[in-house]
Amino acid sequence: MEFNFDLALRSMPLLLMGAVVTVKITALSVALGIVIGLFVGIARISSIRIIRILAAIYVDFLRGTPLLVQIFLIYFALPVVTGIHMDPFIAAIASCSINSGAYVAEIFRAGIQSIDEGQMEAGRSLGMTWAQTMRYIIVPQAFKRVIPPLGNEFIALLKDSSLVSVIGFEELTRRGQLVIARTYGSLEIWVCVALIYLAMTITISRFVAYLERRNKTVDNRD
Amino acid sequence: MIIEIKGLKKAFGDNEVLHGVDLSVKEKEVVVIIGPSGSGKSTLLRCINYLEKPTGGSVTVDGINLDSDANINKVREEVGMVFQRFNLFPHMTVLKNITLAPMKVKHIAQDEAEEMARKLLERVGLKDKIDAYPEQLSGGQQQRVAIARALAMKPKIMLFDEPTSALDPEMVKEVLNVMKALAEGGMTMVVVTHEMGFAREVGDRVLFVDDGMIVEQGTPDDVFNHPKESRTKTFLSQIL
Ligand SMILES: Nc1ncnc2c1ncn2[C@@H]1O[C@H](COP(=O)(O)OP(=O)(O)OP(=O)(O)O)[C@@H](O)[C@H]1O
Ligand SMILES: [Mg+2]
Repeated sequence: MEFNFDLALRSMPLLLMGAVVTVKITALSVALGIVIGLFVGIARISSIRIIRILAAIYVDFLRGTPLLVQIFLIYFALPVVTGIHMDPFIAAIASCSINSGAYVAEIFRAGIQSIDEGQMEAGRSLGMTWAQTMRYIIVPQAFKRVIPPLGNEFIALLKDSSLVSVIGFEELTRRGQLVIARTYGSLEIWVCVALIYLAMTITISRFVAYLERRNKTVDNRD
Repeated sequence: MIIEIKGLKKAFGDNEVLHGVDLSVKEKEVVVIIGPSGSGKSTLLRCINYLEKPTGGSVTVDGINLDSDANINKVREEVGMVFQRFNLFPHMTVLKNITLAPMKVKHIAQDEAEEMARKLLERVGLKDKIDAYPEQLSGGQQQRVAIARALAMKPKIMLFDEPTSALDPEMVKEVLNVMKALAEGGMTMVVVTHEMGFAREVGDRVLFVDDGMIVEQGTPDDVFNHPKESRTKTFLSQIL
């Protein structure tokens, strides 16, 4: 058995195109996941019971079922109910961001709860509403604290996004399968795919480490 | 009466910590609250701006009865509070700490709010710290910024909850001086403190609180030099 470097090299452009798609799904899902997670995370500690319960159900359901099953639910099961054909791209983004939102919600909840109660009291005693205090005082401080766990979540999501290959969506993993179907180069292609994933996750973790360092040295800004 | 408290009760679960407190505070009056740890001093103070929600009785501030959400925010605009642990916003400069609430709550323009912040910082002697972050300041400086921050809302009443007890001894004075100047300027103040010197010099009235009740009250001279209740005598003998 020999490693065919020529094949690996020739396949790179196609695989990299898949990697671009993976980055796109991940970036979009991360952005939406942060928005979802922020609201769900705040809802988890709401003083209104029903909101708290709904948020807990959301988090439990999405963390308690496999992402793969969630993808199937959205791509195959949902159209049965709605009668509308699901675009693979929409289904991929939706399942990844809804799933990630649940993990991000827990990250934000912990981050918000780690902020000293005196901050909320100071904000409220100045006449600011709960929402204003959350927005200007609590969340900006919590954001800094959650950068490391958020970074881990993004890395996890980038890897998990390979699951959307099952609905035929041509991200990196799916591209790999397609190239192999033509070239039979299992060894070369899967090694290349793994290395591309590795390069992307290392880049993210370096970036997160940089953000963390920057936050420590210039501990400011809101 | 700018503060009118009647039959105020507060319980945490089954534990009632205020058992029906009556207290009226006149405009420009400086009321000092003393009492042992756990007696309910902070709770009483925090009921005045509804940081704690009373479980019985009524609290009226400047004619506003504290019962609905809207009233509560209105009262909080008029009642400044200074905490033992400063509670400055660590992610904002001194300037932003002071201007945030006036801009967000009262919708004051930024340059106007900043102008006011400069004046307030001058008043508390921290003009040169305007761009500093809280962690770059000493405890005494942080507490003076906290006072300036509260004053920026132009409150009619200021509440102080042991404002100097987290400070190193050498910084106590600078904070008390700011508070004294505030009192001399005619601010209505309710101050929980163990600084007896301040209570004597600045206080119009001293309340001794024990076990969730006002046990004794009067002028500083009455309470400190001629206490009537045995509990007051015991407490004073321990701290003086
Ligand atoms: N959030 C709370 N939950 C439960 N119990 C509380 C809470 N806050 C205060 N208490 C209880 O209420 C009682 C009065 O507390 P409070 O803080 O008002 O006392 P204090 O006179 O200010 O004491 P200190 O001098 O130690 O500050 C205490 O027994 C305290 O344990
Ligand atoms: Mg206290």
